[in-house]
Amino acid sequence: MSGPLSTKPLAFVLCACVALTLSCAHRKAVVAPEPTSEAPAEATPAPLAPGEGTTEVRPEPRVATAGYPESGVTAGELPANLEELNKAGYLKDAFFDTNKSELRPDVREALAADASWLKEHPTVKVLIEGHCDERNTEEYNLALGWRRANTAKAYLASLGVAADRMAAISYGEERPFATCHDESCWWQNRCAHFVITAR
Amino acid sequence: MKHRLALLCALGSVVGPALPAGAQEEVYLKVTSPGLTRVMIALPTFPSRPGTDPGAAASLLATLRRDLDETAVVGLVPEENARLAVVDPGNPTLTRQRWRAVGAHFLLDGNFAGAANQIVLEVRLWDLTSGEIAYSRRLQGAVGLAPTIAHTLANELVHLFTGRPGPFLSRIAFVSDRSGSKEIWVMRWDGGEPQQLTSHRSIALGPAWSADGEWLAFTSFLRGSPQLFILRPTQGYLKPLSTLPGVNSSASFSPDGKLIAFAAGEEGNTDIWVTPAQGGTPERLTHTLGISTQPAWSPSGRQIVFTSTAGGSPQLYVMDAEGTNIRRLTFEDKFADEAAWAPDGVRMAYTTLVEGLFQIAILDLRTNTRSVVAGLGNNESPCWSPDGTVLAFVSNRTGTKQIFVTDPVGRPRQITTEGNNVQPAWVAQVQ
Repeated sequence: MSGPLSTKPLAFVLCACVALTLSCAHRKAVVAPEPTSEAPAEATPAPLAPGEGTTEVRPEPRVATAGYPESGVTAGELPANLEELNKAGYLKDAFFDTNKSELRPDVREALAADASWLKEHPTVKVLIEGHCDERNTEEYNLALGWRRANTAKAYLASLGVAADRMAAISYGEERPFATCHDESCWWQNRCAHFVITAR
Repeated sequence: MKHRLALLCALGSVVGPALPAGAQEEVYLKVTSPGLTRVMIALPTFPSRPGTDPGAAASLLATLRRDLDETAVVGLVPEENARLAVVDPGNPTLTRQRWRAVGAHFLLDGNFAGAANQIVLEVRLWDLTSGEIAYSRRLQGAVGLAPTIAHTLANELVHLFTGRPGPFLSRIAFVSDRSGSKEIWVMRWDGGEPQQLTSHRSIALGPAWSADGEWLAFTSFLRGSPQLFILRPTQGYLKPLSTLPGVNSSASFSPDGKLIAFAAGEEGNTDIWVTPAQGGTPERLTHTLGISTQPAWSPSGRQIVFTSTAGGSPQLYVMDAEGTNIRRLTFEDKFADEAAWAPDGVRMAYTTLVEGLFQIAILDLRTNTRSVVAGLGNNESPCWSPDGTVLAFVSNRTGTKQIFVTDPVGRPRQITTEGNNVQPAWVAQVQ
């Protein structure tokens, strides 16, 4: 009786017992470990011949740690005057209901005021950031924030703000303005937030 | 053959896992197939030949015991039972009977040898029913590799019993903010040896492995807006894969590793796209109103499940890999997202909303039945172990977001503690 001959049917039976979904692929996989020495018919272990059925265990490949080139563009330093411009709060953020990207009537009013201000200052450029509260999953929120930013952008464009003055980005739930875990914070994070990027 | 199958199943039901006392409020998430019982292995201490490094031998055996006791398919005969089995070297048949009497289906015996900083382990796995040798092996390596040798052997034993890879060399990629920004990290499946893979100091999200463990795709805000990147963890290089407008998120490798499905789109839209994993022109698969995101390939590579708000709330949909034949999968949930297809192709884990809390649900595609596995706090981002027997997921039950892995009886065990740790992605072995 050889090793492989005894292994295959045995393992097959085991699989049928422990795994409910057995296929031919599994059967093939079961015999994948290299067959080794001849197994004796009686229950006395025979020593393995030197080199036979040996697995040379090597170290696992080393995972390089944080050594990647950061060749990308990093956000440039904003001039101080832009920072002050943004602090002054000329532009009102647009807030959204839970899980929504539609504009509420009060938000349309705020955005109409933003549109007027932007038309009065035709050199100003803005980045519209879409944000979400922490509920929902990270990547769904990334898509929801993208929708919110673009909804605000499209509304401003419909009010006559040139589209090339506005850029949109989504931060999803990744950059919250308020960090507590209830509605008193969540509503502040469901928004399209305006950042002035050029005067 | 048939009578042996029946016998083994009967044995399995006798020694099947019992729920430990004191776990009543937390016993859930039993994702293993109903009726699955563990194959019980007796593992007595192996004798050492002269020249064996005693520390390495002890470490190897301890690691092997811990590994085998942590799977859903293989279990160790408890120490107190094993002590009752009296070995009679002159009478192997009697010895087998005694091992069987304490609940063992198999006996793993072996011996250590070694010289010059090497350790050699020869093992034989005896089928205690037939008295045949089911498996024999010699493993050797440097003394310092004793744990890796144990993991390799444990993997082979699990493979022997299930036809699927064991988890012991597997790793989980995840997102952690412990360094101050959200970066991609990788750790052992039990939470050991965390290593930081990115240092972008912006936002990194959504790691996804190629099945062979060679490549990791993820989303990074490294260049300002979110873009899709691919990196090779063992080589340490990074390249951009998609710079389409939009979120460039939720990468998922096709099972053959050739394609990556992801989410992107302009003007606020998010749709499912596929792009060659080694670079090329992305192709758009969906043209839905609203958001379509979180694609995940079926194990066969023929279908893609994804989340869409086409019908209002986020729900799971499935389509053929070419983007055709779209149909809705979930109807009972207020919210369904983050689908993860089990390796068996039959079950799907996803995130649902129950009484205001996010919970993991499992959908059985054969019967189209759904079971919600309620846990403490919010639970999300389910991810299957490579052998499909347990799940990793994220819970905020401790106040911060942490990764948990279920044990063989379905109890969650926390494997991260530092910072917030989310979005686990599990691979059999990093190449």
